[in-house]
Amino acid sequence: MIQILPGIQSTASALTAERTRLDVIAENIAHAQTTRGPDGRPYQRRVVVFERVLQQAAERTAGTEAPTTARVARIQPDPRPPLLVYKPGHPDADANGMVALPNINIHEEMADLIAASRAFEANLAVIKNARAMALQTLAIGKR
Amino acid sequence: MSPLSPIPVTRPATDWLAVRPEAVPGLPPLAGPASVAQPGTVSAPTAAGPNDVFGQLLRQFVSEVNAHQQVAAETVQALQRGEPIPLHQAVIAMEEASVSFQLMVEVRNKLLEAYQELMRLQI
Repeated sequence: MIQILPGIQSTASALTAERTRLDVIAENIAHAQTTRGPDGRPYQRRVVVFERVLQQAAERTAGTEAPTTARVARIQPDPRPPLLVYKPGHPDADANGMVALPNINIHEEMADLIAASRAFEANLAVIKNARAMALQTLAIGKR
Repeated sequence: MSPLSPIPVTRPATDWLAVRPEAVPGLPPLAGPASVAQPGTVSAPTAAGPNDVFGQLLRQFVSEVNAHQQVAAETVQALQRGEPIPLHQAVIAMEEASVSFQLMVEVRNKLLEAYQELMRLQI
């Protein structure tokens, strides 16, 4: 199929990857106070890792280097230990009255959220510019 | 993995060969430039016949634009059915369809312009 918008493959894959990142950040924020999961332990913060993928050979155009796309390689847990807070009245408190809260810093998550949102925006700007370039090129033929 | 092509196009592709007749009936076939024998040169043989190369190119182009439109329609329909398709993919497919259609319209305008220019020739 003809490539009508330049760079659209990489940008589209990056948009999908950033969406996944946003999903994971939303989960982290949602579970900032979750002290008990299915395994009985507090929620553990999760981090998205991106990776670079080569395009399939069939989609390459001859003579040019194939554009690479981005995708989520894995979603791995943050190894930092849970936060211990003294709350003797909490149902999940241990014998010393300490409750293990998830290892989530809400400020850190907000900063990540803004970064993901800005990265998404940057990729949208690429699409907008690619479209404008294509339309301006088509305008060569007009008089 | 192409982010824009996981949706299969279920509609059958339009057979443009059947839709567009080869020539207007009642008119003699036009002699292409390759059928005029040049003295001292040998006309290169082409696989699809010398007169039809441009026509085939156009047909292929139109069917590609059609494929773009079908992909866009399929993506939007899948999105409306509630399938887990990211929103941006549908919008990008629509945008690609729109721009390729405009490219086709520009090509058609140019062809028509050339034809009208020829018809205005004074002999």
